[in-house]
Amino acid sequence: MKTVTIIIALIILLFLIYLCQPKSRKMFILNLLTQVKYLIPRYFT
Amino acid sequence: MNDYDVIIIGAGCGGLSSGALLSNQGRKVLVIEQSEQVGGCCSTFEKQGYKIDIGASIIEFPQVIDLCFKRMGTSFYDEVDLIPVDPTFSAILHDGSKITYPISLEETRKQIEKISPKDAKGWEEYSKKIQGFLDAALEGFFVSPAGNLTDVIKLFAKTPALLKYNRLFFSSYEGIMRKYFKNEKILESFSFHSFYAGLPPALLPGHFAMLPYAEHAGIYYSKGGMIGIPRGLQKCGERSNMEVRLNTLVKKILIKNKRVKGVMLDDGTEITTNLVISNINAKKMYFEMVGEEHLPWLAKLGLRSYAYSIASPMLYLCLDYEPPLTEHHTLMTRPMDKTNDYWNSHYLKGSFPKEQFGILSWTTKSDPSLAPEGHHIIAVTLAPGAYHLTGTTWDKEKPVLKEKIIHYLADTHLPGLKDHVVLSELSTPVDFEKRLRSPEGAIYALRQDLPHSMMFRPSAKSRHIKGLYLVGASTHPGGGVPTVIASGMIVADLIEKYEQ
Repeated sequence: MKTVTIIIALIILLFLIYLCQPKSRKMFILNLLTQVKYLIPRYFT
Repeated sequence: MNDYDVIIIGAGCGGLSSGALLSNQGRKVLVIEQSEQVGGCCSTFEKQGYKIDIGASIIEFPQVIDLCFKRMGTSFYDEVDLIPVDPTFSAILHDGSKITYPISLEETRKQIEKISPKDAKGWEEYSKKIQGFLDAALEGFFVSPAGNLTDVIKLFAKTPALLKYNRLFFSSYEGIMRKYFKNEKILESFSFHSFYAGLPPALLPGHFAMLPYAEHAGIYYSKGGMIGIPRGLQKCGERSNMEVRLNTLVKKILIKNKRVKGVMLDDGTEITTNLVISNINAKKMYFEMVGEEHLPWLAKLGLRSYAYSIASPMLYLCLDYEPPLTEHHTLMTRPMDKTNDYWNSHYLKGSFPKEQFGILSWTTKSDPSLAPEGHHIIAVTLAPGAYHLTGTTWDKEKPVLKEKIIHYLADTHLPGLKDHVVLSELSTPVDFEKRLRSPEGAIYALRQDLPHSMMFRPSAKSRHIKGLYLVGASTHPGGGVPTVIASGMIVADLIEKYEQ
């Protein structure tokens, strides 16, 4: 339970940090995050 | 006994550099090209006495290209008739003001100082930082394979100095430029450079911040047109008996037991070899020439996930007057935030901007022999254009768009233009796709953001088919004439290592 709380708190913290970033930085981060799911398949090309 | 030791599909700069290097190693090499001439995006076509460059209009990083020629016992400067271009470029900003950057770092500093003394200091710091990165990158990043984690670890182990610059890889182009420059005019003057690598400033990885600086190591135009560069590579290869077959289309790569056996041409002819180098878009090559049946599901998933790079509409203008420009390259720029907005509100949505921005390449400024006496050529590289347009098609829009752009240029940067156009041709992403057989007209094959880079870009040595190698923009180090030539060097090294 404690671990889950810590993870949720960390996610909220990271989200708040993201919200404070300038627009262009947000664009950069969002572009990376939306492609994370493809990294493993791409590694095998 | 095979017909050839190596068959290369595509006579772009990557295919020709690998072919020339391998034939110099004593291998029997055949290069097969679908079009009537070599060079791919770095080529020149002739129309009514005008020699017009298809895409690339200058060469940066001559030191990378020279490395390739040096490996063949010659030099870039001996094999290609190069014309130095100075100043590097002029930027016409959105407010109409103009900044010109000479090759000399000191003169550039003085230009920046006139606008923002604080940024002149920034220029010095930026120059120092990027020079350090380039020194390290030239030894490792550009010329080492990066197909898997081991390669990447080896690359950084070989040039540990690169680790000092890790922030460049994890920031954006805009982030790095804003670190050194505070004045919005200076930043705007460097904003279009991010499209040299195919992305807006906010999305392009920070190591591409080397682009504006790298121009100060010297930029060149090839006399007679940019095709001079691939022809220089071809000439070196042919001295060692490399064969180049034009107007020939490869339909399939023949594979048996996961090993390359040869290629089949469009007319059904089979040519045997144990080594094939692909200089075409990796996605197209794997799905159309290799076939899904030879690929594991994870690789198919990875290949499908790749986004094609930008397509760049080009307007070629042949004129019977001297255009009111001063430099070989004039950049029509927008502020960095507006350049990013263009990406979100026009490029991704498949629409055209009202105001044009891009590059005016006045090639006859450097080489008047490209056009009849007193005539001139300007190749206009427009802002990236989406392949899929919303509610219309390129073929429908082409005639209207061409006129609109000519009117826009006549009203802004090229007064008098309308009365002096002898010949004009708009090359859309669809035209690029037809001419170069590049899917969606993608000029850098695949996007060049971090999740499409290094070990996440298709590997130069195929992981799934023995004897299959990749060069060109689809693989590390990515798109651009010097980098695709570097990919040819990487593959020549890999073949020497693994295919004795």
